[in-house]
Amino acid sequence: MATETSERGQSAREQFVGAFTSRASKLGITSGPALVWLFLLLLTPLTFMVAVSFTSVDTLTYEIIWEPTLGNYNQLFAGQGPFWQTAFFQSLALSYFIAAVTTVLCLVLAFPLAYLLARRGGTTFKVVIFLVLLPFFTMYLVRAYSWYLMFGPSGVLNSTLMRLGITNGPLGIFNYGVPAIIVGLTHAYFPYMLLSLYASLDGLDFSLTEAARDLGASRAATLKDVILPLVLPGIISGSLFVFVPALGAFITPRFLGQGKVLMIGQLIESRINSLYAIGYGSAASMFIVLSIVVAFALAFRYVSIEDLGGV
Amino acid sequence: MATETDSGTETDRAPATEQGTGTGLLDHQRKEWLLGRGLYAIAGALLVFLWIPLAVMMILSFAVNASTFFPFRGFTLAHYAATFADGALMTSLWHSVQVATLAAAIATLLGVLASFALARYAFPLKETYRTFGILPMVIPGVVLGIALLIYFRTLLPQLFGITIVPGFWTIVLTHSVYGLPFVLLIVTSRLYTFDESLEEAARDLGVDPLTTFWDITLPIVAPAIGAGFLFAWIRSFEDFIRAFFVRGTMDVLTTSMFSMIKYGTAPKMNAISSFIVFVIAVVLAVAMNVGNVTGMVAGTESDEE
Repeated sequence: MATETSERGQSAREQFVGAFTSRASKLGITSGPALVWLFLLLLTPLTFMVAVSFTSVDTLTYEIIWEPTLGNYNQLFAGQGPFWQTAFFQSLALSYFIAAVTTVLCLVLAFPLAYLLARRGGTTFKVVIFLVLLPFFTMYLVRAYSWYLMFGPSGVLNSTLMRLGITNGPLGIFNYGVPAIIVGLTHAYFPYMLLSLYASLDGLDFSLTEAARDLGASRAATLKDVILPLVLPGIISGSLFVFVPALGAFITPRFLGQGKVLMIGQLIESRINSLYAIGYGSAASMFIVLSIVVAFALAFRYVSIEDLGGV
Repeated sequence: MATETDSGTETDRAPATEQGTGTGLLDHQRKEWLLGRGLYAIAGALLVFLWIPLAVMMILSFAVNASTFFPFRGFTLAHYAATFADGALMTSLWHSVQVATLAAAIATLLGVLASFALARYAFPLKETYRTFGILPMVIPGVVLGIALLIYFRTLLPQLFGITIVPGFWTIVLTHSVYGLPFVLLIVTSRLYTFDESLEEAARDLGVDPLTTFWDITLPIVAPAIGAGFLFAWIRSFEDFIRAFFVRGTMDVLTTSMFSMIKYGTAPKMNAISSFIVFVIAVVLAVAMNVGNVTGMVAGTESDEE
């Protein structure tokens, strides 16, 4: 552009290099594009979502009426009975319950496997990690669907049991419902927990556990007083990465609940897609956002954002 | 072997470090053995848990009766044939590939640049910048999906007079933000371990900065950039909920599959799902043998086998 004014015949290449000479321009060029993108497609939409939750929407034109109101929040908790009987409160409480059980289940199941992976190298490690990563990289939707085939009154589990003569009729536990959802979510988010625990167990100096054992500590005491405190960051970050997505889950409860269980993600989706009730949806979303902020605030007392690396 | 040492244990004790607690050697060994076996048994059971629904689905994809095993009526490839002949499904698969490629390309470009900023420079609010960079990965899909739906459909036209019709480009934009953290995390962790004296050496030898970047920096960081792109691509390809909200009337693979399940067409769903598992297995097997995928995923640095 500035060929006329620039001092004698600078080549395009030199100009390009020249643009990177000052520290400020380097910083601007590297940090700028992502900043613009995040501002336009993350910060602004989320900020407006918070704002929309405090406004009302014209039901005919879907235009937002920019007057502050608590109407959306009232609507969440308004019903025939007290607030704990509203659809919103019940699905929120149920979502918390399901997410918490899923997190605990993932932790209990993933710990032995992560320990094994951290202690054993070579072929065992490669094969196991491949077998774990493959379902992990397989589409989430496919995994939820595969459990949809397993559960249900005439699903694979029930029909196999009946065929083998173990039961006479379909078992309620293998029908669609809360247990099925918990199994599906545990299957979906198990790898997050495993990889977090593995990353932290892998950095653990196992001579410490040997020392504890030599000094007479029992296995249980070694686990409780040596291993657990050292892998706590892994446990916390793993739990975050299971709890947070499980709380906002949509597909799994949809397929494995079959209308009997309404988690908060589905509730919001149904209001938005059938009524375009963006005020209600935004206000309900605020409860998910707030839960996450609290969860992270608690977690950051023990871990830094760096520890949340990997996945 | 254990029975032979039985009599000797009381007198010929091994050094105290070997013995651990006061229990007898036989007892100790058996305990170790049981614990070791127990660990493998648990690991085995977990792998069965992870694999059984997928395995069942893959078998059913070849079965004549596609929803349950019983009564079993034999194997067929008809479901696969029907699936690949389904024009609408194949179109949505093609859309998914296009969306994922574009979104991952944008995410990679932005993410690599931002990684250099984070790894090389100190600037005000750096931690805030990093947090915002990681945020799209952490926000649940429902929340991000709705926020962007409102943004694209209502706020942009109403407040700023910009109209982007929900469809292909809104999904690409959404996924480009969603993929950013995966690139950012992988590339920054690579840059932190990068030996900058290599660049200094090149410059001292009179190489200009652009050549230094091209010949020194890029080859070292390239595997991480590749892994970041792959992650962002897969995340976009498999995402349902974000795409579901901002898609308008356009279908990507996940949204088509969702309607297939909703309206109960199991045979095609089994076939396309199994096909995807198979393709991903091949890609992952190749990637694991080429680069250190495990290290990238677990966030641990280059513990080469």
